[in-house]
Amino acid sequence: MPLQKKQDESLFDHNVDRDGGHDDDGIDRRGFLKCMAWAGTGALCVLEGGVLKSYGLDDPARIAKAARGELSFVQISDSHMGFNKPANSDVVGTLKAAVGKINAMPVPPAFMLHTGDISHLSKAEEFDTVDQILKSAPTKDVFFVPGEHDVLEDDGKQYRERYGKNTKGDGWYSFDQKGVHLIGLVNVMNLKAGGMGSLGAAQLEWLEDDVRHLSKSTPVVVFAHMPLWNIYPEWGWGTDDSAQALSYLKRFGSVTVLNGHIHQTMQKVEGNVTFHTADSTAFPQPHPGAAPSPGPMKVPAEQLRSLLGVTNVNYVRKHHALALIDSTLE
Amino acid sequence: MRSKKVRKNSWIFCVAAAIALVSGAVLTVPTSMAADPPTVNVKIDNFSFTPATITVKTGTQITWTNADDIPHTVVSDGQEFKSKVLDTNETFTFTASKPGTYSYFCSIHPKMTGKVVVE
Repeated sequence: MPLQKKQDESLFDHNVDRDGGHDDDGIDRRGFLKCMAWAGTGALCVLEGGVLKSYGLDDPARIAKAARGELSFVQISDSHMGFNKPANSDVVGTLKAAVGKINAMPVPPAFMLHTGDISHLSKAEEFDTVDQILKSAPTKDVFFVPGEHDVLEDDGKQYRERYGKNTKGDGWYSFDQKGVHLIGLVNVMNLKAGGMGSLGAAQLEWLEDDVRHLSKSTPVVVFAHMPLWNIYPEWGWGTDDSAQALSYLKRFGSVTVLNGHIHQTMQKVEGNVTFHTADSTAFPQPHPGAAPSPGPMKVPAEQLRSLLGVTNVNYVRKHHALALIDSTLE
Repeated sequence: MRSKKVRKNSWIFCVAAAIALVSGAVLTVPTSMAADPPTVNVKIDNFSFTPATITVKTGTQITWTNADDIPHTVVSDGQEFKSKVLDTNETFTFTASKPGTYSYFCSIHPKMTGKVVVE
């Protein structure tokens, strides 16, 4: 994977804090925007006042320092339980490996987010299997948003019965944890021909109202299945009305947007908003435009787990920072 | 030369078989039901419908087959036809009974669009 290696290097070239300190000179934002995509390695990203710094995962001391926050949580995504094609015939095994990775973290997460595509075909037994595996996670608090694979056939009725109790509309909601305001959005319902993800008028209205009362210094985390930024519209990797949603979040000093759907890690910083997509626990998908379609990417068995993973998110109040650490399953 | 000969022989065999089938059909069913409805196939592959636009006569049976590793659906914009979720190798058949132009898409991956023109 020479291309990928190059991306990794350029990422760290632009972002590693070379003098080893935590001063503010870290990042060339334009350079960072050029090298958003990487997979197969881990990176620790610390957000300070809207600026994101990135460190290689091969420096445990610095990671431990950055990860020591007041709030630490984990994002997993796209477990696609029930998928059994050659790209990964053991999605049970890789989800278990992801949970094992979380159990091995030095600081147990306060809670977990699952950003959708829990199941492959919305079948009850697929959801059951995921629920069973997540029982061995270090926390029982798992917050979900649906992927398009979770709301097939029944407009998400089963999904909401299982994971969306006390949510609004199609399953959107918000909650607060240690001063951080988290918002789960649904952008996989009522999709329009030719379009991408969709939030819809009712949800946008709710969102505007939900954040109205918050002070602008409140760190906000938004999580949804499909990317809330246009990564690759040709493959539908975006959300038609995400700009409207983001306009309600402009006044906040720190906004972190966590998505799944594209089965690879990508980041972008735009103003005070950091966008991040997570690896899948099931199978990788190609880089935008690198294949005829976004279908499951078949890689040699020994490479698979280096392209799947989990994301750890830390909030350090003192530094006004959210840190994102992507770890692969290897 | 040899392969050409084989192909020619197969062709003759096919014609003979077809004639046999048609004569059989004529003998056993009423004339009005002798001809099967015309059929057209649309392949779902690489997150697209191929061919993306088809033009068919009224009465044509259109069958979509999902060749992707990911499930898809076939849903016309006006809901004149709507498949269930098609997993790999599953099919959906719709008989075009009314003339018109029907735009359709995959409701899971709405960038996937196609068109059926019924004459």
